Amino acid sequence: MEVIKSDAPLIVYVDVKSPYAFVSIKPTLELEKELGVEFDWRPLTLDIPSYLGSAEKRGGKVIRSEGRSQTAWNTIRYSYRDARRYAERQGYILKGTEKIWDTSIASIAILWVRQTARSRLSNFFEVVYPAFWRRELDVEDISVVENCLEKAGVSSQGFREFESGDGRTLHDNLQKQFHAKGIYGVPTYVIGDEVFFGREHLPYLRWHLKGRVGPTPDIAYEI
Amino acid sequence: MLTVFIDFNSPASYLAFEPTLQLVKRLGTELRWKPFRTTLQPIPEKVPNESQGQSHRRVRALARERTHTHYAKLQGIELKFPVAPSRTDLALGVLAQCSKDPENFIRKAFYAYWHDHFDLNDADIVREIIEQCENIGDINIAQALDSLESAQKFAENACIIDAPAYMIGEQLFIGREHLPWIEEILLSTKTDSSRNLE
Repeated sequence: MEVIKSDAPLIVYVDVKSPYAFVSIKPTLELEKELGVEFDWRPLTLDIPSYLGSAEKRGGKVIRSEGRSQTAWNTIRYSYRDARRYAERQGYILKGTEKIWDTSIASIAILWVRQTARSRLSNFFEVVYPAFWRRELDVEDISVVENCLEKAGVSSQGFREFESGDGRTLHDNLQKQFHAKGIYGVPTYVIGDEVFFGREHLPYLRWHLKGRVGPTPDIAYEI
Repeated sequence: MLTVFIDFNSPASYLAFEPTLQLVKRLGTELRWKPFRTTLQPIPEKVPNESQGQSHRRVRALARERTHTHYAKLQGIELKFPVAPSRTDLALGVLAQCSKDPENFIRKAFYAYWHDHFDLNDADIVREIIEQCENIGDINIAQALDSLESAQKFAENACIIDAPAYMIGEQLFIGREHLPWIEEILLSTKTDSSRNLE
């Protein structure tokens, strides 16, 4: 799988542990429905400690923090506040995470759903994302992810082998290619050879996918 | 009342300027421009044995530049990124002092930085921009840096971390992508005011 190539009109990269990806899911699914097409949804598992430092919280208090400046903390706090208010508008709860999760199993599950039950992908997102952001889902536990697959109407038969075999290889190969193609975060949208980070580009993407009619829209978080 | 914090060396601030003006003019909202000195973010050079974090920061910086250039074209703005971003403190200090309408000053300062790569920390250049503007109030260039310092403290106390930042009531929004929500708040405030007058 090549990171910027697809037969679909749009590639969408997401990661369950990103609050910005969380609030992008609903409007992106709505755009997909509006256009009557299938986007190519793929995982990008963020390596947050490599660029933002790491931290752990317990009971709302920071108990461990490495490599995070005050500016980084202020930016993170604003980002969560910002994502939370938009999540609330979408009818969701967004609680700040207490640690930096390894979301690779959930990411590989996206590849599994694409491959075995593409029509259930939106169900899978709806089962995983809101529960994760209510702090009700341990996505590092493969049996929890299997349970999510079943809840979304996707058979988890064979997922365990896929997760440790072909799925893991596919996932890891994708991760290695991102930076070389200008991709670094989620949500990322790839249309042709153009790469856009953030759901603020949805108005532009809609305009593009609808045949580029009328004035080109600016960035906006649609409400 | 909408308060918007900007920095002249911030491409996002430049690209937010006209859309913000259009919004407030359409809604008849009172607008206040404030300076905010952002952190300079040059594009990191690719280094041998680049770590994942270094690579992430470089790729992110390049992507941001590409995105700004993409949307600048839509506004008919030709963004010319300087080799290295420079501080614009003196011009920001002047903005802090503007007691009347700073719109012209802001427009000219953005143009000077992004089209001509002028040094907005140079007193002669800033003075020249002021001379081209009317109705911005009494400006004392010698005091401009002090004015910026107190404006910066005010902004930091208000938890501003980047520009453009929009303050409206209790809410803080960073980036023009929030204009739809800001418009919604402004409209609801307007409706409430009209109801109170009835």
